[in-house]
Amino acid sequence: MSGSRMAKRHLSRRLIATTAATALIAAGVLAGTASSANAASVRTGGTLYFITHAEQFDHVDPARVYTGRDIAFFNSYLFRNLVSYKPVKGAAGASLVPDLATNTGVPSNAAKTWKFTLRKGATWEDGSAVTCQDVKYGVSRPFATDVITDGPQYLVGALDIPLAADGSSTYKGPYKKTGQDGFNKAVSCKGSTITFKLNRSFADFNYALTYPAGAPVKASKDSGDKYDLRPYSNGPYKIKSYKVGDQMHLVRNKKWAKKSDTVRTPYPDDIVVRFGLAEEVRDQIILNDQIPNTINLDGLQPANNRAYFAKAEYADQRMNVYDPYVRYYAMNVSAGKLDCLDVRKAVFFAVNTQALIDLSGGSVFYGDPGDSPIKPVLGLDYAPTTGNIHDPAWDINGAPAKSKSLLAAAKTSCPTTYDKATNPAKGLTMDLAQSATNQKASVLIKQAMENAGIVMKFNFIPSGQYYSTVLDDTKQNDLSTVGWGADWANASTVIPPLFIKEGGFDLTQNWKVPEYAAFKTKSDSALNETNRAKQAKMWQELAQYAMDQYWIARPVFSKQQFSWGSKVGGVFYWEPQGTFGFGGLYVKR
Amino acid sequence: MLKYLARRLAATLMVITLVSMSVFLIFDVLPMDPARLTCGKGCSPAVIEANRHRLGLDVPVQVQYGRFVKGLFVDRQYGDGAAAFSCPAPAFGYSFNRHECVTTLIADALPVTFSLAIGAFFLWLLIGISLGVIAAKRQGKWQDKASTAFVLFGISLPTFISGILILLMALKFRLIDPIEMGRWVSPFESPIGWAKNFIFPWLTLALAFAATYTRFTRSNVLETSSEDYIRTARAKGLSEKVVLRKHILRAALAPILTIAGLDFAGLLGGAIITENIFNLPGLGRLSIRAVLNDYDLPVIVATTLLAATFVVVMNLLVDIAYAYIDPRVRVA
Repeated sequence: MSGSRMAKRHLSRRLIATTAATALIAAGVLAGTASSANAASVRTGGTLYFITHAEQFDHVDPARVYTGRDIAFFNSYLFRNLVSYKPVKGAAGASLVPDLATNTGVPSNAAKTWKFTLRKGATWEDGSAVTCQDVKYGVSRPFATDVITDGPQYLVGALDIPLAADGSSTYKGPYKKTGQDGFNKAVSCKGSTITFKLNRSFADFNYALTYPAGAPVKASKDSGDKYDLRPYSNGPYKIKSYKVGDQMHLVRNKKWAKKSDTVRTPYPDDIVVRFGLAEEVRDQIILNDQIPNTINLDGLQPANNRAYFAKAEYADQRMNVYDPYVRYYAMNVSAGKLDCLDVRKAVFFAVNTQALIDLSGGSVFYGDPGDSPIKPVLGLDYAPTTGNIHDPAWDINGAPAKSKSLLAAAKTSCPTTYDKATNPAKGLTMDLAQSATNQKASVLIKQAMENAGIVMKFNFIPSGQYYSTVLDDTKQNDLSTVGWGADWANASTVIPPLFIKEGGFDLTQNWKVPEYAAFKTKSDSALNETNRAKQAKMWQELAQYAMDQYWIARPVFSKQQFSWGSKVGGVFYWEPQGTFGFGGLYVKR
Repeated sequence: MLKYLARRLAATLMVITLVSMSVFLIFDVLPMDPARLTCGKGCSPAVIEANRHRLGLDVPVQVQYGRFVKGLFVDRQYGDGAAAFSCPAPAFGYSFNRHECVTTLIADALPVTFSLAIGAFFLWLLIGISLGVIAAKRQGKWQDKASTAFVLFGISLPTFISGILILLMALKFRLIDPIEMGRWVSPFESPIGWAKNFIFPWLTLALAFAATYTRFTRSNVLETSSEDYIRTARAKGLSEKVVLRKHILRAALAPILTIAGLDFAGLLGGAIITENIFNLPGLGRLSIRAVLNDYDLPVIVATTLLAATFVVVMNLLVDIAYAYIDPRVRVA
């Protein structure tokens, strides 16, 4: 066989093989395309309802939206960010994908500089292109703290802009333009590439840009405070109407092009959010599947929740998952409060955790005892701690004997605090938000403390004023009931907020104790660490230290429940946002 | 009469002024900080201060009050620089929680509350007076006993229970659309849609008030029936219908209508429970959410002031009516 014939046969075989493969692929692609097109067409259309007892979304202005649910909602429908979480269930949902940008960001200069290049084809409601200047303008708005309140301050804190004497930024936002030069140096546009210069190494800066606070805003459409009612959309939907206490109606944004957006899958034609429903009405809609194309944005009332989750026929219309929060009692360690480690430990061991969990729905619905301020859902940053609930003496029903032995030690090591904790005329005081459940909880706590020889009193604060009271360090008492969830999958959004004064939610007042300086130094180092594995290890150590110091008591890794009607499809739990993956929802035909 | 009117008008204005000042003072001395409350999590002291400035709480309470009063007569400015805006007079303030001038919020809520109050008012008068008259005329008979049972039932059942029960029944029998429930429909656009939206809230409110009015009417009719002039009327040979219509009811209902006027004025301030149960965006819901959820001071001040004004003005009208009828009142 000549070489040429061999070559020819070989060529023929290759050609046949290639042709066959091409045909198969083509058939597959065609079939796949047809099937995905069919699936999409089956899912497309209809009106999807959301119901809630709340009067309104906390905020709609992208610079002010801060809760996971609202971020997930608006990012799925109205706002596009430079980067986005992957809209899939499971741990993969916490990974970043490019959205308006062509990639997830390019860090340099030890992650002090980040660059993003905008993809082509993204447009506003009026068909005009989303530009780099729009992103820059959007990022500038949170600096206007006299107009833009409530939103995340990560960008304000991270951008390399000089600070004023009072610690605030010298840039005062786009409305006053004071310090505009400083902002222009920190955020600059060159063509479609935006560059952020930061004041520290910020390895997970791109995660901060998943917040709508980093989303573009068209300057000509910015209406200041009123932008919270009618933001301009660059996503697949736009706001047709929004009235607080009534409803929000989203319709398709006809200028949005699917080819420019690899993240979103807008199925329903209309999306209606009904606000202000009486809790009983909301629950009845779900319990009776009265409006099957409805999603409940709230939890059901406890009794209705139990009834709903007991019904086998609703197995496909509910989720019971760990939420992003750790609920705990913050111990105020400042002088004259709980400034004695032994007394703090005595309180920790005295608590009847089981009774409190049972009061709030049991371990099925409320959650499990935790061992860290960092929740396991954070993955890399969580590691089981030692001591606390892993101490052999700890009992979920309370360990009064252990508490008494710790108090006996405290009698010598810190007699003043011991006296305060055990003297009926003095006693410890716990801050609680005023509610029927907390009234009942106070009885359980008081009983458990009495068993251990601790005198506990309670300061009930109207729920609307709770955090404004306890966050005032002159008004906070010995213990305060609180909860916290990570802003993204990094404990940089847990440890500094909870245990560093500047974090803004440090209810331990630990900055008043000598150990704080070393803790802060290590926390700052962790923030600046660009090696993610090393950083995770540092967060784990800091969490262990916080637990060893018993800065918090009775941590509970809490759960939440979701419910929806029988005609809603595509439901999944979007882990990083702790809520529905809104983008995948559709109305079943 | 003019002097009397002027005196009463001055007193009314004084009461309204005192109410507005009291509301400002109460919320000033309470241990709450709206600037921190609306700041969100993780806000720095500088942000809190900026927020305080935005809310207009960075000046003494008397200055805040002065601005409030001034705003009732001239447009009120908010914000600085490119973010500045104004609320036209009469400006009760601006709600930073709802992003609206408070006057607009009240203008939106008032028709809802008025619709609720006016429908319930006529319904409870119709039921209460009819049952009261029947009970009085059939004293001791089954009609009287049935009306007494109704009175007991209506009075002892709190609105938040009767409202929920009526609502659950309506939901169960699919008499209302839970998604559309409570959405405002103008009676000028769709009278049926308007009435459909309010029928169950009217029933809820009317149930509570009608019971009381049945009792009032019954006792007043019985009391008037025993008056000498009624006996005279009967002795003159007037038919029982004429005696009832022209003599008994005219006298018996006068004090009831006075009370009804005040009850109506009270309701105009907002039927908080009924509005919340039936998702009606009226003044009651506006005010209670402002207190419980948002600590929205401008809304709280405006709705409190408005509720007080309704009551005080209605009192004034009643007093004027009495003064017109009875000259001795003017002297007093």
